[in-house]
Amino acid sequence: MTEDYSYEHPRSAWAITLSVWKALFLRESISRLSNRRMAWLWLLLDPMVQIAFMLTMLTVINVTVIGGIDTMSWLIVGITGYQMFQKTGSQAKNAIASNQSLFAYRQVKVIDTVIVRTILEGFIEIIITVILCAGTLFVSTEIIPDDPLMVFAAFFALWLMGVGFGLIMSVVTQLLPEIAKIIDYVMMPLYILSGVIMPLSSVDPSYRHWLLLNPLIHGVESCRVGMSDYYHTIPGVDLVYLYKFSLCAVFLGLALHRRFALKLITK
Amino acid sequence: MIIVDDIYKRYQTSHGPGKWVLQGVSFVIPPKVSVGLVGRNGAGKSTLLNIIGGTDGPNRGHVERRCRVSWPMGYGGGLQGSLTGRQNAKFVCRIHGHHADIADRLKYIQDFAELGDSFDEPVKNYSAGMKSRLQFGLSLAFDFDVYISDEATGAGDAGFRKKAQDAFKNLADRSSLVMVSHGEGTLKEFCSAGIWLNNGKADWFDDINEALKAYKDSLPK
Repeated sequence: MTEDYSYEHPRSAWAITLSVWKALFLRESISRLSNRRMAWLWLLLDPMVQIAFMLTMLTVINVTVIGGIDTMSWLIVGITGYQMFQKTGSQAKNAIASNQSLFAYRQVKVIDTVIVRTILEGFIEIIITVILCAGTLFVSTEIIPDDPLMVFAAFFALWLMGVGFGLIMSVVTQLLPEIAKIIDYVMMPLYILSGVIMPLSSVDPSYRHWLLLNPLIHGVESCRVGMSDYYHTIPGVDLVYLYKFSLCAVFLGLALHRRFALKLITK
Repeated sequence: MIIVDDIYKRYQTSHGPGKWVLQGVSFVIPPKVSVGLVGRNGAGKSTLLNIIGGTDGPNRGHVERRCRVSWPMGYGGGLQGSLTGRQNAKFVCRIHGHHADIADRLKYIQDFAELGDSFDEPVKNYSAGMKSRLQFGLSLAFDFDVYISDEATGAGDAGFRKKAQDAFKNLADRSSLVMVSHGEGTLKEFCSAGIWLNNGKADWFDDINEALKAYKDSLPK
């Protein structure tokens, strides 16, 4: 619709986009790590509190081994894997509102802010996961992936799902805030339904195929399968299903951004 | 040269599409010609500036910028409240592709804005005047061919306005301005041509005084 000409130092569209991504990445990192006192500590404490709480609960009811691996490893891998999706999605969802003032520069496109947030969140979650797993070396259980490639593929799929979800929700939150609110409520039970804190093996086999419709289960369970050779998951877990779902979500999200680019930037 | 071709713009309201703010606006701003936009409140002056600056897009029609155009300066836009003045300045340098000489640009901005220690404070703690100092310094740090000013000097104190006016005058030989101002003196001082926005249409005047006269004649006596 509008073209930029600068005669003396022409920059290609890619060069502009890359410099915007770099600038936004640094701007977002600063905000993420300094928006409150010791923000970096909270990034670690948040999953740790969840793990400690659920570990206590499960220990009280005498669950020490789930699917052949000890409860703590089972929880750490599940919760960090799920966060890969959830944190990425929720950070991306709010990207547009948080960067509203920066759209005064025509170089900054709405979608740049969403993409940069998902990349930053991916890095942060990888660091958190590595720190938490390394932390287990100091206690009796140690988490060392038996199939690193599988772990990587599963975490990446969950991140990609977060990207797709974030891309879609960032548009919905801006244009239809009421619908976004309803989707938030629908998403609430996902934490439990994705087998993060509740073992799927405890569900009666005749109902499991309903649970397996949820793509996140396949990702969370695949993380655990890759971490330990001894882990036996329920039949029907298929990482490819999550990948198909994620790619569709990413495509839909990009299409929404393309279609509503003007509406998103006009206040 | 900036070519504005048959632009239509309306905003979405809670009751569906609003009325047309701009209806078939076309004009060409030749190189080195400074233009003042006049019109009553709500005539679409800021909307038109945002579209020329590429911050907002038209519903129909298109804008072609055959030169380097600044972002629209004014009202504290383009500053991220949670970041400090310095961090904001670095951000703007980076998106404009100045990675190598960032230190020189920062020094220039810091000297021009004269914010002292506040340069390292979050922008959300700034007053309106401090924000416009920073914005003004930011935009002058880059060599634009056309600067877009939406009352950019409005919030500053007397000393800053003087400084801004001098800066604008120094720019005159290499750059031009597209500006909105309610100060008639400012318009006459910096602009040679004028655009009068009225009922969604734009009328071009080669002389800013005629644009001001047409605008004033349209006002109820």
